[in-house]
Amino acid sequence: MSTEAIPAEKPKRNFNALFGLTLLGLLLLMWIVLAFATPSFATALNITNLLRQGSLIAILAVGQTFVIITGGIDLSVGAIVGFTTVIVALLINAGWPIWAAVFVTLLVGVAIGLFHGFGIVKMGLPPFIITLATMTSLRGIGLLMTNGNSISINSDPFQAFSRGSLAGIPYLFWMVILVAVPSYIFLHHTRWGRYLFSVGSNAEAARLSGVNVPRTIYMAYVLSGLLAAFVGVLLASRIGIGNPTQGDTYELQAIASSVIGGTSLFGAIGSVHGPLIGSFILSTINNGANLLNVNTFWQRVITGALIIVIVYFDGLRRRGK
Amino acid sequence: MTSTAQDLHPAPTLQPGRTILELNGLEKRYPGTHALKPVHLAFKAGEIHAIVGENGAGKSTLIKLLTGVMPRTSGEVIWEGKPAALATPYEAMALGINAVHQEVVLCRHLTVAANMFLGEEESRFGLLQQRAMVKEAQKIIDGLGFDLPAHVVLGDLTIGQQQLIAAARATVRGTKFLIFDEPTAYLTRKEADQLFKLIRRLKGEGVTIIYISHRMEEVFELADRVSVLRDGTLVGTRNIAETDEPELVKLMINRSIEQIYHKEHFTPGATIVETRNLSGKGFENVSVTVRAGEIIGLYGLIGAGRSEFVTTLYGRHKKSAGQIFWQGKEVQVNSEHDAIRLGMALAPESRRDQGLCLNLPVGMNLNLPIYKRISSNLLISGAKEKVEADRQIADLRIKTPTRNALASSLSGGNQQKIVIGKWLAHGAKLFIFDEPTVGVDVGTKAEIYRLFSTLLSKGAGIILISSYLPEVYELADTLHVFRRGKLVATHGFRTASHEDILGQALAEKQEKSGGQK
Ligand SMILES: Nc1ncnc2c1ncn2[C@@H]1O[C@H](COP(=O)(O)OP(=O)(O)OP(=O)(O)O)[C@@H](O)[C@H]1O
Ligand SMILES: [Mg+2]
Repeated sequence: MSTEAIPAEKPKRNFNALFGLTLLGLLLLMWIVLAFATPSFATALNITNLLRQGSLIAILAVGQTFVIITGGIDLSVGAIVGFTTVIVALLINAGWPIWAAVFVTLLVGVAIGLFHGFGIVKMGLPPFIITLATMTSLRGIGLLMTNGNSISINSDPFQAFSRGSLAGIPYLFWMVILVAVPSYIFLHHTRWGRYLFSVGSNAEAARLSGVNVPRTIYMAYVLSGLLAAFVGVLLASRIGIGNPTQGDTYELQAIASSVIGGTSLFGAIGSVHGPLIGSFILSTINNGANLLNVNTFWQRVITGALIIVIVYFDGLRRRGK
Repeated sequence: MTSTAQDLHPAPTLQPGRTILELNGLEKRYPGTHALKPVHLAFKAGEIHAIVGENGAGKSTLIKLLTGVMPRTSGEVIWEGKPAALATPYEAMALGINAVHQEVVLCRHLTVAANMFLGEEESRFGLLQQRAMVKEAQKIIDGLGFDLPAHVVLGDLTIGQQQLIAAARATVRGTKFLIFDEPTAYLTRKEADQLFKLIRRLKGEGVTIIYISHRMEEVFELADRVSVLRDGTLVGTRNIAETDEPELVKLMINRSIEQIYHKEHFTPGATIVETRNLSGKGFENVSVTVRAGEIIGLYGLIGAGRSEFVTTLYGRHKKSAGQIFWQGKEVQVNSEHDAIRLGMALAPESRRDQGLCLNLPVGMNLNLPIYKRISSNLLISGAKEKVEADRQIADLRIKTPTRNALASSLSGGNQQKIVIGKWLAHGAKLFIFDEPTVGVDVGTKAEIYRLFSTLLSKGAGIILISSYLPEVYELADTLHVFRRGKLVATHGFRTASHEDILGQALAEKQEKSGGQK
């Protein structure tokens, strides 16, 4: 009866898609400019290298986005990466089969996520605090376990993984796809994804609707911890050592990627594709700056400026609506 | 259309007249407040039962206990003959009990359809059936006769429309027992009529309904019986046919009010502010003059551009054309700061979003606009701070244990009193009140209107925005009617009929506006 009265306004999803396309356009533009500006950018070697660099942060950014959508933050992911390189290294060197070592390492990530959920739900700690605490203490525990030394991993097949590729694309990048596709379905096409948004939008409304808010919060941090542990395994494979100080500032890069990708730090707004593109924009800046011989100190400045610009325009776009 | 709706509401098994829900000494204590003293009350299946009472009387608390939002302190709830724990919202929903709460509690980032089905999404093989849900939601909304789209993001709707969605959503969940906690506070007249139609139809289908409101005429229009709460105690239940408004008011506040709309006429003094053809986002060509000692009423539907007009006048938004004259001189008001310095004060319409710092104490909220005055040099004078806050709390009868209680712990109406109260001590020349009495009880309304007179007698002018016609009608010396961003008619004190004014606001009748400017 009221079909005529429905405003001819398209669903918001189209705006998200549009924003995603703009970001993708920005990424492609950067690639084209770099390809013309430097001879070494558009080489197979450099591109695979770029994909490998970006992949780790991309996976972290997806996990981080789940958390940010609920209105939280996970500062511990970099520390989890470092810590789990140690765990996986120790297990493999102890003679465990690779699959078992990887599986247990992932469980460690899950356990850390559960601990965060516990701190937030049961102890009432702010996400910032509990994950900040884990961030510092995990690195400490890792250093205690290794006496501050690196552990070299004696398993060639394990290290070979990160160097291999399939259909010309590095395995590491395939891992991004392996994470991204289920994450996308999870976030946008299952009720659990919907609950992440509802908790970030209005936790009280979610509770009154019968949504299990504590469980949703547990879920977000467990996923973030799990993906961070996964990245730890991949990083260990890539560098061939376990070292608790690895993954330094990864959490900030993951948050930055997520935010560049359109995630709102106030919660309830975010996607999977945005952070993925965001992370590759960041790694392209680093890669390009290296090739152009830009001082690494400047890279940090550029990254900071870019965050401000993109988020500002994203805010304008939202308000303009 | 009706068949859809009937499918949604399987006829309850109880015959009307039988008790469906019984409160047996239901009680709630908050730290520092005995919000609900043991209440005994039985609801009959299929009745509309109104609950009235002052702000903070415990109405919403009762609802929160019945819907599992808050745990009770003691007592029993008997549902269809059996005790029910009602420990979680989920349990209440499973019994068929649901509520439309006083403040809209929905997720503004999700779509209307997602909100309707939140917590009970349809999915197949773990995947959400989004299209099916949008279609289903649209069917329900259409079936209820609301003219709203199901696929848009909730935050894009007005507060009133959101409230209708909340109602639609509740009908899906509260198939046997539905509670409306001040549902019309943010609704336009037309929306309220739609809601009443819905409520009557639900009653026809056998749903039991609790209806909470501060508007007596609504209670008499809808309810079969009415219960009165005072200070957490149930002081009486009446059949609607056997009672009248004065009796209910007397039960509510334990004294009688001879006149709610207190109106004193002052001889208008000098012009305080004048707008000439002011235009901005959401309104155009508005010319209004406010003189000392008079109330200028702005009536219209929600969304007619009244709030946009006053917030632009107040410097929050940029004007696109026109002029503002303050005491005869043209001024540029570029920010709220400018406005406050000139001597304007604005009590905004949305108390949760704009008017209150919910996590701060009551006293701090009240003193926020006057910290400059109660500070000596750099430091805040603690003594003055206390005195000012306590005076406001007493003057407005804000029901709070102390000035240090958080604003979020107050009842809805008492929060509204803070929003108003914080400007009263400020000593401004022009007061702008945007929907000042939303959710405020009759007794306090009368007090707020009396305060208006006090302000006027001190030489101030008032702009009063209200979507509640009787309020502007009885109080405004000049009444401007807004429609779709334009000032369409102007009347003197009580010079037009309610019907004419409504017609001008809705434009249902032909545009034969009496007394157009
Ligand atoms: N979460 C809370 N913590 C402490 N006190 C509370 C809380 N919620 C309500 N109260 C207090 O309980 C009393 C009853 O509040 P309630 O919200 O039930 O009033 P109400 O009758 O709904 O009033 P209104 O008409 O203003 O909505 C008030 O004194 C209020 O301050
Ligand atoms: Mg209430």
